[in-house]
Amino acid sequence: MEFASMSVAEIQAGLAAKEFSAVEVAQQSVERVQAADAAVHAFLEVTPELALEAARKVDAAIAAGDLASCGALAGVPVAFKDNMNLTGTHTTCASHMLESYVSPYTATCVDRVLQAGGIPLGKLNMDEFAFGSTTESSAFGRTCNPWNLGCVPGGSSGGSAAAVAAGMATVTLGSDTGGSIRQPGSFCGVVAVKPTYGVVSRYGVVAFGSSLDQVGPFARNVRDAALTMNALAGRDPLDCTSQNVTTDFTANLEQGVAGMRIGVVPEFMNAEGLSAEVKDKINEALAKLEGMGAELVEVELPHVHSAISAYYVIAPCEAFSNLARFDSVRYGHCEAGHKDLGSQYEHSRSGGFGEEARRRIMLGSYLLSAGVYEKYYYPAQQVRTLITQDYQRAYEKVDCILAPAAPRTAFKFGEISEPAEMYLSDMYTISINIAGNGGMSMPIGLGADTGMPVGAQLITPAFKDENMLRVAAALEQVYGTAPVAPAFANGKVGE
Amino acid sequence: MTQHLSEKDVRRIAEYARIGLADDEVVPMMNTLNNIIDTLEPITQYDLEGVEPTFHPIGDLSNVMREDVEVPGFTQEEALSNAPKQQDGCFLIPSILGEGGDR
Repeated sequence: MEFASMSVAEIQAGLAAKEFSAVEVAQQSVERVQAADAAVHAFLEVTPELALEAARKVDAAIAAGDLASCGALAGVPVAFKDNMNLTGTHTTCASHMLESYVSPYTATCVDRVLQAGGIPLGKLNMDEFAFGSTTESSAFGRTCNPWNLGCVPGGSSGGSAAAVAAGMATVTLGSDTGGSIRQPGSFCGVVAVKPTYGVVSRYGVVAFGSSLDQVGPFARNVRDAALTMNALAGRDPLDCTSQNVTTDFTANLEQGVAGMRIGVVPEFMNAEGLSAEVKDKINEALAKLEGMGAELVEVELPHVHSAISAYYVIAPCEAFSNLARFDSVRYGHCEAGHKDLGSQYEHSRSGGFGEEARRRIMLGSYLLSAGVYEKYYYPAQQVRTLITQDYQRAYEKVDCILAPAAPRTAFKFGEISEPAEMYLSDMYTISINIAGNGGMSMPIGLGADTGMPVGAQLITPAFKDENMLRVAAALEQVYGTAPVAPAFANGKVGE
Repeated sequence: MTQHLSEKDVRRIAEYARIGLADDEVVPMMNTLNNIIDTLEPITQYDLEGVEPTFHPIGDLSNVMREDVEVPGFTQEEALSNAPKQQDGCFLIPSILGEGGDR
């Protein structure tokens, strides 16, 4: 059976009816990864022993007649972006810097998914330290888009999106600093949720931009994503920014959108660089929602165009600060043989970090230097206030905003090489991290020109993540749940 | 492209960042950074008089403390488990005072 192509509900129904055991789910899901990942390269590490150990616990609970005690993800094949610590696994951030690092502890988000009964299949490829939009900057080879192996999966959580799209996992976790969940979700045609900042603990996730980073789920249907949100959300004493969120994210999925006010942003819809096929699909989705009784309301976000420059000031500064911890002494790549500590630092860091990581660290170093800080960093934080206020004003008029998740569908490897041009692929996602509210990408079919998946981005007020999930569930009624990519459907492995 | 950064600046910020750059890496890095900084220019052109900065989306936190109670943490062995070099239960680094060097 293709367990990893099944939904949470299908797996749990089968477990409850004793059609199969959790150990069978674990074994066959690991075999599936080993067969299908040759073409995709979504996984950096596969963890058969951890999968079996987790499955045995679920089977023991079933034998005791208590499947419910296992949690909402009992028996579900899951996998984690490789910037998330899981005891005993490598956590490399797809960097030579951490190539031999073995986690001595487990991130809260990972722990919560495992406590909910998830079966861990392994760790997923990403752009190095999450710096990128294509997963091409991984030090261990790129991930391919299951919908077209010649195209990028997006990034930085490209492995997380591709594993779900190729039917190698039912749920995966990614992290999103400027679009790193939503953009690959859009490119790979899966449900991809970046919760409001503070909904999910960041403890144990290797930090990139600490005021921007947020962890969230990938899945092939909205309910599975919402169930995972339930497991993930809430206060963690180990992350003082995590909030006491007790929302049941599945509660209003059936409610429909009648009476909901959906915002349409002219600045987004008329932006230069938005491809015709994406624009058409977004307009179609808006019309479908209107047909289901939602009211479309035009809202202005007058400062949103400044989000990219604010982001490319704030994010490298925070990355510069966070990546200072890689000192070649406590852990990480070390080039030994140097006479003094300073030169060990310099050689180890330039040898361990890849090109994009070095570029961003250097940019942060410049932007925070004396005399430059006042010119860029401080104004960027003022712009952040204006963008946040724009969203707050918009949400006086609407319950949710609908926009593209990315300006175009997945592009070919090597098609974009200039960093400044690449940064534009996050033009629709970045302002949400700047403001801190929630956003998700919902698959709405294929583009007319490229035949590749298009994602509608749903954006909600802070701590109203249930609003976007409700609209997503309505879109799912129209467009169906996200399919496994055709070349990987029904057990195929990419031929 | 505006020359925001000179070669000398690039060497200086590399030193702050503890990133060793080979001589032939300095000019390409300078050009890339100058290109990126060009795209940041809009941030310098807004009228932001009187606008308060937002340094963090959750702004009302200060001095978050936990109860001062003993909780389990890493053992010495676990804390050292990823150290590239260790000796006598400590992280080992090159001498930082006077001569010495790597052992």
